[in-house]
Amino acid sequence: MDATIFGAWVATGLTLLIFSFLYKDTPLFKFAEHLYVGVSIGYTIVKTYDTVILHLIIKPIAENGEFALLIPVAIGMLMLTRYVPKAAWMSRYAFAFIVGMGAGLAIPRTISSFILKQIEDTVRPLLSIAGPDGLTFSMNLLNPASNLNAIIILLGVSSVLFYFFFSIEHSGTGKAVARIGIMFLMISFGAGFGYTVMARMSLLIGRLSDLIEFSDASYGRPTIWLVIAVVAALVILSRRSSTGAQEKQ
Amino acid sequence: MTLSDRMLKIDRRIIFLMIGLCTLLPLLYPVGLPIKISSEVRGVYDHIESLPEGSVFLLSIDFDPASKPELYPQAISLLRHAFRKNLRVITMTLWVSGTGMADQIVTQVAKEMGKEYGKDYAFLGWSPGGQAVIINMGQDLYSAFPSDYGGKPTKELPVLEGVRNLKDVTYMVSLGAGRPGVEEWYVFGKDKYKFEMGGGCTGVMAPGLYPLLRSGQINGLIGGLRGAAEYESLIGQKGKAVAGMDAQSATHVAIIILVIMCNLIYFSKRRALRAQGHLG
Repeated sequence: MDATIFGAWVATGLTLLIFSFLYKDTPLFKFAEHLYVGVSIGYTIVKTYDTVILHLIIKPIAENGEFALLIPVAIGMLMLTRYVPKAAWMSRYAFAFIVGMGAGLAIPRTISSFILKQIEDTVRPLLSIAGPDGLTFSMNLLNPASNLNAIIILLGVSSVLFYFFFSIEHSGTGKAVARIGIMFLMISFGAGFGYTVMARMSLLIGRLSDLIEFSDASYGRPTIWLVIAVVAALVILSRRSSTGAQEKQ
Repeated sequence: MTLSDRMLKIDRRIIFLMIGLCTLLPLLYPVGLPIKISSEVRGVYDHIESLPEGSVFLLSIDFDPASKPELYPQAISLLRHAFRKNLRVITMTLWVSGTGMADQIVTQVAKEMGKEYGKDYAFLGWSPGGQAVIINMGQDLYSAFPSDYGGKPTKELPVLEGVRNLKDVTYMVSLGAGRPGVEEWYVFGKDKYKFEMGGGCTGVMAPGLYPLLRSGQINGLIGGLRGAAEYESLIGQKGKAVAGMDAQSATHVAIIILVIMCNLIYFSKRRALRAQGHLG
């Protein structure tokens, strides 16, 4: 059997087994789920071994004599001492190295990228200078750089920050500002939810597109045959479970 | 039992079936709804379009098969565009689980466009470390990737001639489904080594990346299947993303109707309970 056709049958079968969860949790779904986890982990281990151990450690040391690589290898090996309780303290050196290096790399870069640059973009002029005519105010909501949007962003950022400021009671004017903050948060959550729905539907579209493609005669129509097989299996499993429940009663 | 009670107790499998049909029918019988190009997708397209022949284009395929429906069409379209513009294409991945798929994508499009490995494009594969790989590439690309995916020394690849580190990259796009992805490429790559950058991501991630787009930290963003469909339309080679747009629109309409219906039922039930004196 051609590898493409075999792949089509496997992909169709596993997709349908995963979709069987929409009916109910069955051993068919569990089989596909466990297979997915197993294959993913197996693939990751093999690729990591090949790339890291063989190509980045053994090969350079054996072929080019890059013995300096033994230093990071030794630090990495210290991690494994976690499995030996008496020597577990040695792993702290490796963790200290990783945490220290990670924090050192990440903190300045994150502050620069996500705090300073974002503040710079938030604090925009509320009015623009347009040549000799003087100050102008652009009202275009669709233009992200318009003055109206600068005011909306300023209002949004201030009110949301105030909403999370718990040192004073949210009453009177404070309550109104906090409410505006909640409204901005709700709009943000709504946009996030909308995009999430779109993303999940895209995944469904991807699977259904493949199922349609694999219903073609050139693949041996795996979609049709496997839909019949999965539906039959679900009916049998459903009957078995209902018979089992009756016998228990 | 009233209609609203019956609706609230509806079997969820009926809703699954409804959404399934709304997705399946437009895929079987496409309508061809128009696709409007957004400025964020156009940002990436226009930048690639403006690059002179032979410019170095780096594409980081930072996703695995779990995000394939959304990001695979984006990768295909970007590669087609870059190859058509005769750019020097360097591809890689920061996701070990996406290595095989990334290789398959690059090889497939290169073959389709008649490009030669090593001369026109290269696939560097995966290297461990996430953000550390980006920093390493910023200092010395050959230290981060001593050999390509096939084990060939990267220094011998003609496509990498004159490319020492990320500073020599003309334009970079990260197609990310999570971490490491677009944000890491910006924080540890563009912000430090100052190259121009665009992004592509799953729909779930898009709202989180809009602040980077608005502030000009990235010059364009291709968000989800919708973004991929827009890019396919821009390059004039409609593929899987455009084909899925009708289904996307149909399911969105179905979900909007369901949300409105649920709200109407909720408020009618609340009003009924209030009338009966069960609610204050």
